[in-house]
Amino acid sequence: MNRPINRRTSLQILGGGALAAPFIIRPKPGWAQSNTLNVTTYDKFLPQEFLDKFQKDTGIQVNVRLTDDQGKQYNLVSAEGGSPTTDIVTVAGHRLNQWLDSNLLAPVDTGKIGNWTKLNKAYQNATEIEGKLWGLPILIGFEGLAINTDYVKEADSWGVMFDPQYKGLTTYILNDFLSITMLYLGHDGDFVTYTGKPEVAQKAANEARDFLIKHKDMVRRYYDAGSEVQQMFINEDIHLGHSWSGPATKLIMDGLPIRLSVPKEGTYGFYYGLNVVNNAPNAENAYKLFNAVLETPEIGAAMTRQSGFNSTISGVGDLLDDREKQALDLPQDQAERITFFSSVNRDMKNEILDRAMAEVKAG
Amino acid sequence: MARMVRSRLYRSTLGAVIETRPGRLVLLTAVPMLWLVAMHIGPIYEMFKISLFAGYPVEAHAAAGLTLGSYAIFFRDSLYYQPLIRSFIFAFGATAFTLVVVYPVAYYVARIVRPEGRSKALLLLLVPFWAGEIIRTFSVIMLLANRGAINALLREIGLIDRPIPMLYTSFSLGFGLVYLISLYMLLPLYSAIEKIPSHLLDAAADLGAGPFTRFRRIILPLSRDGIVSGCSLVFLTCIGVFATPILLGGPSTVLFPETISVFFHGASDRWPVGAAFSLILLVSSLITVGIFMRLVGGRGTKV
Repeated sequence: MNRPINRRTSLQILGGGALAAPFIIRPKPGWAQSNTLNVTTYDKFLPQEFLDKFQKDTGIQVNVRLTDDQGKQYNLVSAEGGSPTTDIVTVAGHRLNQWLDSNLLAPVDTGKIGNWTKLNKAYQNATEIEGKLWGLPILIGFEGLAINTDYVKEADSWGVMFDPQYKGLTTYILNDFLSITMLYLGHDGDFVTYTGKPEVAQKAANEARDFLIKHKDMVRRYYDAGSEVQQMFINEDIHLGHSWSGPATKLIMDGLPIRLSVPKEGTYGFYYGLNVVNNAPNAENAYKLFNAVLETPEIGAAMTRQSGFNSTISGVGDLLDDREKQALDLPQDQAERITFFSSVNRDMKNEILDRAMAEVKAG
Repeated sequence: MARMVRSRLYRSTLGAVIETRPGRLVLLTAVPMLWLVAMHIGPIYEMFKISLFAGYPVEAHAAAGLTLGSYAIFFRDSLYYQPLIRSFIFAFGATAFTLVVVYPVAYYVARIVRPEGRSKALLLLLVPFWAGEIIRTFSVIMLLANRGAINALLREIGLIDRPIPMLYTSFSLGFGLVYLISLYMLLPLYSAIEKIPSHLLDAAADLGAGPFTRFRRIILPLSRDGIVSGCSLVFLTCIGVFATPILLGGPSTVLFPETISVFFHGASDRWPVGAAFSLILLVSSLITVGIFMRLVGGRGTKV
């Protein structure tokens, strides 16, 4: 039946549209999102080819929301309370307790991940807390000293970051480097030994803060994201800097004259995991993605090539070429200087270092 | 339509409102008011609410403890008002510099360029602003970096051996900011200068007034509205700017918005303090602009 569109029908359509609008534009409930998966992760962690294949194979639309900082990610999910808009987050191992204390993560059921045994055995229990697993570890890294070998020859100590000949040519992530500076000055930069001793912790942090303020002229810029330190090295705005191992290793893989090392005072290591958010609207899809990540070591190798971080997946090392292996390889004595960040006493550490960070910036 | 208008339902609802003058007024103002409430007052109210909480997010089924403690932190500690003062000084400087740089450009387009060519001239000036703020910021990075265009040129012509460190300094921040916000100064100035009647300038010239006198006695006073609008826009943009100082600034150019962001992005959860500091910045900058508009804009200016 052909019905002419006149003013009356137009009004009816408009009225109908107005009535239907709230239903059309309302946020979709979890059960309606069975074909989507929302992932909050770092840039370059999940290779696009992998995501394309996953979407094609499963019909699940993956929406990636990028983050560059653990604190930002936690604060955003925390603010969403019990109605998260993301299904998967990327939590560093030492941050797990903070997320669990806020009841923001769901335990991982490895029975739903058929490929779980393809994860390197050394990391299969890495996220275990109180008898439950809380994520799928994917990448491992450390806080290293990166130098441009065209300009800096010797760098066996964090002290080179304060050497006057490199004035205005260094960079660091302020929050992370406060921990490193504490280590350099002989303190516990991870606050593990300061449990129940806030005065001792504050004194040590203040010493590091004052040291950084005193040497503020050494630093060209405080940065946040790995891509920023890469850009500064490429533009030769800096000659050396504190860097997560991933971004610096990526530059080495790309052929830049960069060397990454663990100075004699030591450093801190960490791993990143993919974690299912509590009340995630698409938790089942999250498990499908976990399974797909572990499907073949090629995916782990692609993640390593893109991010520069070491993979937790078995067999990845065999797929890397010599230059990639060389970039990722760390001499045994330096590897032994890495202490993995602990989740002990994090609240005290966060509070004291956040304040110290603001003080250094204002100072 | 006629049937609908005659219907009882229509007459007792929408019709009853439209038939009275106050009703029509309410209907007409409802949409902009709704917009203002939803898009402007709503978020600020939410920020104010969070600033009074002892902790955020408030745990489910727990009573929200209200406190002014987050505001007290600002006034108790010089650590935090130093970046605010720095922000104000920087915003004043950037506003003044933008006015000095952009005024001749606006004057040139409004008075020197022939009327038929003004649209094209304006278009040429506006083209860079079609790109997003972040893209334009990165273009400044490519220009000023150690291996950027300027250093490469200077090295190429043999003026320097080592690059001049321009990026991540007060200079790069000021340069980038003026470039990014000049549009907000240009348009109000152009609009004001273009409206100045030519016969006033001709008459002044006939009476012996030189170019500087004509500028000081006629053009400057008559473009005051444009100066006030442009400076207010630029100042408010400068005081709240966040991404540009992070990308172009260095360790000595930390402004107040970056200090605020530490509370939202830091490892520990201190949104109430960040919200309180945001409101302090908002109120202090609005008061400053209000005073400026009163002083420069004259008595007739509505704040």
